[in-house]
Amino acid sequence: MDNKKTESLDPWAKPSGGFINWLKDHGRTFNDTTLFVSQRLASSLFVWFLVGIALALPGILWLAQENLQAVGDGWQGRAGLTVYFEAGVSPAEIETALKDLKKMPLVEKTALTTSDQALQDFVAQTTDSLELRNIMASLDENPLPASIQITSSEGADFIELEALQRQLRANPQINDVIIEKTWLERLRDITTLLNRLGWIFGLLFGLGAIFVTSASVRLAIESRLEELLVLALVGATRGQMRRPFIYFGACYGVGGGVMAVMFLALILNAIEGPLQALLGSYQVPLVVKGFDAQFLLSVLGIGISLGVVGAWVAVRQRLHRAQFI
Amino acid sequence: MASIVLDNVTKQFPGGHKALVDLSVNFDSGSMTFLTGHSGAGKSTFLRLLIGADEPTRGRVLVGGVNISQLSAKRMPWYRRNVGVVFQDHHLLADRSVFENVALPLRIGHFPANEIAPRVRGALSAVDLLDKEKLLPGYLSTGEQQRVGIARAVVNRPKILLADEPTGNLDPALSKTIMDLFSQFREIGTTVIIATHDIELVKDMGQPTLNLVAGSLADPVPTQTRVTEFN
Repeated sequence: MDNKKTESLDPWAKPSGGFINWLKDHGRTFNDTTLFVSQRLASSLFVWFLVGIALALPGILWLAQENLQAVGDGWQGRAGLTVYFEAGVSPAEIETALKDLKKMPLVEKTALTTSDQALQDFVAQTTDSLELRNIMASLDENPLPASIQITSSEGADFIELEALQRQLRANPQINDVIIEKTWLERLRDITTLLNRLGWIFGLLFGLGAIFVTSASVRLAIESRLEELLVLALVGATRGQMRRPFIYFGACYGVGGGVMAVMFLALILNAIEGPLQALLGSYQVPLVVKGFDAQFLLSVLGIGISLGVVGAWVAVRQRLHRAQFI
Repeated sequence: MASIVLDNVTKQFPGGHKALVDLSVNFDSGSMTFLTGHSGAGKSTFLRLLIGADEPTRGRVLVGGVNISQLSAKRMPWYRRNVGVVFQDHHLLADRSVFENVALPLRIGHFPANEIAPRVRGALSAVDLLDKEKLLPGYLSTGEQQRVGIARAVVNRPKILLADEPTGNLDPALSKTIMDLFSQFREIGTTVIIATHDIELVKDMGQPTLNLVAGSLADPVPTQTRVTEFN
């Protein structure tokens, strides 16, 4: 009948061996939790489903933003300017201007279109309009200017392109300089919008996931109040009483994360074909960017975090009110 | 082990009812004391103060020299691990076997795995329930459930043993067995306090008795007791 705990000056002091015991408690709690959840699979599935939806929507917005970013990056490689010369500028002057342009660091490639080539292109593109061709033929001289298409070097941003535009416009031989930026700006705006929406929905649905797990854990606490009372009586610490419910929250979070990944896979599979067809019509090749291991781990990690936070909220509120504990 | 001192303890509930009034009493370490009194006399409040479930409105409850009403929530579990409690309404976990119910204090107290089974079976043997270890409490009679509660209270060999009507659902022979078990704990230094209505049993045991009436000691404490009035 000997008690192995050693007497100290304080007879009710915390015993030694805390870390090992803490690990053992976690192991026992893990087993208990998996058993508890597996015995209530239907209600657990319901919670997983709700948390999965809450995680899937921000997830799909994030993936959409990533894909648009990829489209934008692809487009950025062709971003640049078109320089239109004045009508009377001689070929030699254009050649000199072309050589000067090629020396500029922002310029990666140039493509000269002489006024004759421009006219030929115009005629070729208007073969179905006899009237327009007759009008062009009736003109004394070619009205189309020579032009140079500039492909900017990789990484050139709009501010730099605008500076180059101003610099070129100062040249009296140049009539106008157009920056091909419309699509890029739109893509950038859409990407920014999706990013903001992702954060907003992420926040809202994250709160939703916390409430769902919190409510579920609260129910679990209510159903086990008698057990908590007994645990308190036999000397369970608050951590020991809290731990199973935190594990429930984590379990709900993991399940919700797995559900979210499944939803995202289904959604991506459903939209990949139509999306490729749409972007293909704009000559934008697209391989839909799905999720990688990092994304999977992020979704699961966020799911676990939200589940644990929800459980923590429920446990703190309920155990704080529980008499005796 | 653990002496218990109640020093001018008053417990007043919201609404003004006083369950204990200026109660002063000293339980020596290794003593066995019966607490008698009618319903509402303050027996349950007395036990609740000793397990740290309630705090006195006034006065001190010293266990092992420590005022337990001032123990922080973090330290209270370490104290409770040294207190075995038998409740009148058992407080068993319905979804755990008899074995697991009895093993609970050992698991919570991080006893080595190889010690748990022998201790649990020893405690179940002492209350004559060894053959029921795999059953759920719902399959046991009230008396058997009471004995499971007793086994759980003694399984970790506590320094203090508190029992509220531990023999209320047991026949006289089994009641005597349980009392003998409690006596064995007293002999190894456990401080045992038993609240009961069973006056015959109290007389048979020949141990000191505190009779509570309206929260105060009604009679002088018997001279042969190891319980001495404080002050």
